[in-house]
Amino acid sequence: MSVGRRAFLQFVGGAVGGTLLSPLPWKLADDSAIWSQNWSWRPSPERGEFTEKPSVCQLCPSACGILVRLVNGKQAVRIRGNSNHPFSKGGICPLGASGLQFVYAPYRIREPLKQTGTRGDPNGFKPISWDEALKEMGTRLAALRQENKAPSVAVITGQSRGSMSDLWRQFMTAYGSPNLFTMPDESDSQRLAARLAFGAAAPFTFAFERADYVLSFGLNLLDGWGPFVRMQNVFSNWRTESAGAVQTELVQIEGRASVTASKANQWVAVNPGTEALFALGLAYVLIESNLYDAGFMTDQVFGFDNWTDAAGNSHEGFKQFVLKHYSPDQVSKETGATAEEIIAIGRKFGAQKSALAVWGQGRGTHASNLYHDLAFMALNLLKGNLKNNGLVSLETPPPFAPLPEAAAVSSTAEGLAGTRLDLASSAKPPLPGNALHSFCDALGGSPAYPLELLLVHEANPAYTMAEPSLFRKAAAKTRMVVSFASTMDETAAMADLILPNHSPLERLDDIIGLPATPCAFYAIAAPVLAPQLDTRSSGDVLLTLARAAGEATAKALPWNNYETFLKDRVKGLAASQRGAVAGPTAVNLTTMQAGQNLQPNYKSDSDLWKKLLAGACWYDAPGDHLATLPTASGLIELACRSLPLAPGQAADDKLFLPHYQPLPPSGAADQFPLQLVTYQTVTVAAGLHPNPPFMNKLIPDDLLLGNEMFVEIHPRTAQQLQLADKARVVVQTPQGEAAARVRITHAARPGYVFMAQGFGHKNQDEYVRGKGVNANELVEVQLDPLTGLGTVWITRAQLRKA
Amino acid sequence: MSSGTENGSHGGHLHYGMVIDLDKCTGCGACSVACQEENNISFRADESDKLRGISWLTLYRLENGKEYPAYRAISLPRPCMHCSGGHDSPCTYVCPVNATKRDPETGLVNHIPVRCIGCRYCMVACPYHARSFNWWDPVWPDPLTKMLTPEVSPRMRGVIEKCTFCGHRLNRARDQARVAGEDPKMVAYTPACVEACPTKAMVFGNLKDPQSEAAKLAKDPRAFQILAKLNTDPSVYYLSKEQWVHKLSDNDL
Amino acid sequence: MDKALIPDGVKRCPLPLFGLWLLVLLAIIGWGVYAGLSVLIQGLNITGLNNYFGFGLYICADLAIIALGAGAFFSGFLYYGMSRFFPVLKEELQKIINLAVIVGFCCYTGALAVLLLEIGQPIRGWFGYWHANVHSMLTEVIFCISCYAIVLVIEYLPIVLENRKLDAIRGVHFFGHSLHEAMAIFALTGTFLSFFHQGSLGGVPGVMFGRPFAFRTGFFVWPWTFFLFTLSAIACGPSFTALICKAVEGVTRKRLVDRSVYELIAKISGTALLIYFVLKCADTLYWALDTAPGFGLKLSDFYQEPYGMWLLVAELGVGGLLPVILLLTPNLGTSNGLLFLGFFLNCFGICVNRFAMTVEAIAIPVMPFDRWAFYTPTWAEWAPVIAMLAYGTLIISLSYRYLPVFPQEKKLNVR
Repeated sequence: MSVGRRAFLQFVGGAVGGTLLSPLPWKLADDSAIWSQNWSWRPSPERGEFTEKPSVCQLCPSACGILVRLVNGKQAVRIRGNSNHPFSKGGICPLGASGLQFVYAPYRIREPLKQTGTRGDPNGFKPISWDEALKEMGTRLAALRQENKAPSVAVITGQSRGSMSDLWRQFMTAYGSPNLFTMPDESDSQRLAARLAFGAAAPFTFAFERADYVLSFGLNLLDGWGPFVRMQNVFSNWRTESAGAVQTELVQIEGRASVTASKANQWVAVNPGTEALFALGLAYVLIESNLYDAGFMTDQVFGFDNWTDAAGNSHEGFKQFVLKHYSPDQVSKETGATAEEIIAIGRKFGAQKSALAVWGQGRGTHASNLYHDLAFMALNLLKGNLKNNGLVSLETPPPFAPLPEAAAVSSTAEGLAGTRLDLASSAKPPLPGNALHSFCDALGGSPAYPLELLLVHEANPAYTMAEPSLFRKAAAKTRMVVSFASTMDETAAMADLILPNHSPLERLDDIIGLPATPCAFYAIAAPVLAPQLDTRSSGDVLLTLARAAGEATAKALPWNNYETFLKDRVKGLAASQRGAVAGPTAVNLTTMQAGQNLQPNYKSDSDLWKKLLAGACWYDAPGDHLATLPTASGLIELACRSLPLAPGQAADDKLFLPHYQPLPPSGAADQFPLQLVTYQTVTVAAGLHPNPPFMNKLIPDDLLLGNEMFVEIHPRTAQQLQLADKARVVVQTPQGEAAARVRITHAARPGYVFMAQGFGHKNQDEYVRGKGVNANELVEVQLDPLTGLGTVWITRAQLRKA
Repeated sequence: MSSGTENGSHGGHLHYGMVIDLDKCTGCGACSVACQEENNISFRADESDKLRGISWLTLYRLENGKEYPAYRAISLPRPCMHCSGGHDSPCTYVCPVNATKRDPETGLVNHIPVRCIGCRYCMVACPYHARSFNWWDPVWPDPLTKMLTPEVSPRMRGVIEKCTFCGHRLNRARDQARVAGEDPKMVAYTPACVEACPTKAMVFGNLKDPQSEAAKLAKDPRAFQILAKLNTDPSVYYLSKEQWVHKLSDNDL
Repeated sequence: MDKALIPDGVKRCPLPLFGLWLLVLLAIIGWGVYAGLSVLIQGLNITGLNNYFGFGLYICADLAIIALGAGAFFSGFLYYGMSRFFPVLKEELQKIINLAVIVGFCCYTGALAVLLLEIGQPIRGWFGYWHANVHSMLTEVIFCISCYAIVLVIEYLPIVLENRKLDAIRGVHFFGHSLHEAMAIFALTGTFLSFFHQGSLGGVPGVMFGRPFAFRTGFFVWPWTFFLFTLSAIACGPSFTALICKAVEGVTRKRLVDRSVYELIAKISGTALLIYFVLKCADTLYWALDTAPGFGLKLSDFYQEPYGMWLLVAELGVGGLLPVILLLTPNLGTSNGLLFLGFFLNCFGICVNRFAMTVEAIAIPVMPFDRWAFYTPTWAEWAPVIAMLAYGTLIISLSYRYLPVFPQEKKLNVR
């Protein structure tokens, strides 16, 4: 026994010693280390040849030039800016750089889906073939038209700057329904303002490049507004010291310390929503100190001085009106700015050679009160900025050939002919605009006629619209909702049928015009990837449906596919022999003259098409909008006498003039002592595209922590409410309530609650959904009585401890 | 330090560095996204735990500490500083396995994840928090794996990673120079963040070439380094005209 | 049942009772092993560590336990080295040297096991030997700790071989005896290694020149923390051995060593602690008045709740000055309670110091615009650390039961 044990021990000892001396343990150690360096569950990217394809980003209206890097020609791995693009100049925004995360998003819709359960049931969606889906849609459209119910079809498209919206318009006109809307935008009210003053419904453009003093009324120039990358370029130039160049000064008038306010040379903190009043106060200073362009105001502007109408009644002009009502002392109280500040800024604005006033709300995703648009325009008029080649102009569309004539509506139901749903009621606004909110409001209430079919294209109104419950109520009243979404967003989730569009980088599309940019612009976004899933371009789908819907639509939309349609457009553009293709040398917006004739640098329409497909863009100098003013007076009408007013109303001269006209928020001030203001930041995508995983890393942890989001309040407000930093609260407004936590910061104005947009998604995937709450749900939309447009400024709110 | 004679990148004529103009930076984060995409940086569903996330280029918020409405906040993008202090970089000095080294030729501080044993000593030693640890296995939900670029290997759980000034781009530029018959040593290249910046606030170049824009800007009166008092001598310079920003760049200024 | 294994002439508790005790310890160890496996399989995300606190409880406990285990090397150094000059050391320390070695063995092997969990890629942890960076203090630590752990195994082995049953085997007896003869060499090698790695452990924070809390420069040799760590380990190691000895005495309700041993240790520990205390105060002052201001920081900048000034008071006051007084005041030495309180506070002070140099050192945000972060260990960190203590207890229990650890036991416990 003892011998056996000893032998055993010897054996073990020998074995251990022997093994250690053999290469085995060392080999094992090495192999295991190599294994740990090559874990199979760590993805290994596909290797192969790199190629790079140019395109134009379609994720926002900036239309930046991009280059997409592909591996083996089929896997896109990288998006970077295209330095040959004249406006983005190689720059890119975080959303654009994340673009591939939308193409490869796990929450994309793989094929056409039909809701077989109750609406909104996530498990009710069943795949359906394209043929079947298109047949069903075509039959339905044809039947509705047959039954004279064409107006009971409505369309909402989010693609307002592209041929798709023209195609929708063409379709709806031929089909016979007036119910076509684009998603709300600041240009909605600007178009109407320009129509009153210039007789042309076009949004304003701003020559930031030529300004030496920029007054921004609440516009988040650097937080993602409008032409994002162009603004970043412009700002960069403002901050570049170069010999002899004048440094442009930026003054931000806003209630919250946004990025723009923080980076501005001067930040004037005012009560949110009173920016227009501040602008009128400045107008007073300019007029009173005689710092305005008197010659321009007399020669080219109607209604600055007192005027007489056709009936011989005399009316008060803008000058007298402003001097009566908007002295710095009068303005100071409500705006929260001091009279001295107003006077100083007004004088500076008047004295600067190229001073520009720009306005809007945040990133410009809401329409504005019409009178406020006019007030800001008036301030620019006083500086002579709307002269030909001035700092402010009207957007010039590219000179496309006209589309085939859409057959006049002939067979719609009696009494409904051509009447948009929101205009069919008795309280019709005098100057109706693209009033999606009014439409939803009318449909959700007691509509003049029922809606059979609602088509939603490249839009997610159930999430992005202010007060999205209006849309949901409207959709609930609609017999069938059809979505063209490429991802399972909130609107797609409540659709009855989904006809998924290609993702932006998979489809051929175009961009018409850059927001607020003083030149005509056209670009083609070429597809860089083959479609990854069983999706179809909505353009092609619409053309198919047009053929099925009836003879009129088939005739009005004669193209075989969307590509032919776009080629047709480019052909028209080439035929105009205007504009040029921007090559490597950037377009110089500093020297471009209005009405300037550019030498076309393309040989033929196919050459232009080829160049556009290769990522180059077409541009042209802005038109001279003053050459022929189609207004009654032939002048810029500061007194909007073309405004159709109700007979009794006309007695008040103010109604013709830009003035401060806040719409009172609902709710009692004692119940809702605070005011809620929503805002957008560039690091949180708040539009059609939700925040991609890349951008989640950019969100600070005092804005989103876990799934809880923070609202900003001033320390004094926190003290009054006895709230500590990070405290959990309930934000309640007349529209609803939501849970949040507070971030106490001096970025916030006392008495206000600032809430970021872009959170609170309910669908998509775990990288997106369930984070925070959707601020849009809490805000109150007020319909501008003049235009019916939904405006958002202030919502009364209360905060209480959760 | 007693042995300050041992020079890191001070010998040659090449020292890559970056200058970030904080007056121009709007904190949009395009640089960070470009960096993530270029370098296959993994992400998780919840990225709000900033102390556990992986970030090579982090945006810090700097506040002037004043009351409304004198309050101002700016963004400060922080890549790896590629410290070129006399002795060594804080991280390269402490790595027990030589997984992170400073290239004396270029001034770049690299990191080799497959060499790294995950002891986190470098992360602890870095005062700029430029290093992140892979606390989890990286997971890309399907089909997001398709957008992984083959130029940079995804890292595994249990190792450190950090900004490399896009070292693979330098290699690519050198290869191109070789093919073109040029001197591969002195090539110019651009990291992904600098390329993406829409305000051109970031400038990258050879700090030792007096003609380079980066070198000129690094000598600008607005220029400063973060934590200069630690003698780490970062290769990243910042520009700001604001005194309060300068004050926040180091302790007790 | 296990009578044959128990040393001759001593009394041990019944086997079932001992078995129960072992079960308790094994349960704790099992819990720790489970936690350790969880960390290895799931990754370090189940700990409370993060990118700001790359070092946490694991490292802190490792550093503390290695310092406390320094009794082995220092007792060995005194016993084998210094006793040539001071014979009294040989006579007194002989009574406790075995225990010191066993405690050292437990501390080092336990620490190594925990160290394996601490690194993110333990499978290639051996790169530390293969791709060593000679600059890195951690390289020095890795080499010295593993070498010294081997030395401790060698030192522990002859004690194990003294087991009655093993000793009966001729070859084993001869081997054990030869090892005993050669022990002086190993002890002095161990002293050399331990002296260095205790210092290197101090160097680990001390060389982080980007971390103003930890970084030290100045007189002595750069960095000071190197020597302060060695000195503090020298001060607390024997105290810890004495505490363990007292604990064993308490549990077994026996006297195992002469009180003179404790008194000697009190003198040695107390003196070492006094020197350490003075130097540490000088270090703190120099750091607070020169090094830190050079980085633009004031002393108060480093301390913010929960890492407040109380840590400094706990380290230098409660765990520094107080034990110095308790251990070196002759009159107080007569009171057992105060004596062992002195030992305990000595150990406590060193533990606080190790916490300060690992966790607190990285708490202060160096960039002025950064925020303070806090660290809370999770169960996955506590369990292996507690299990490490249970493992030590297990080894000591087994050694006490089956090995002649205390040469005086028989004499002091004659009925």
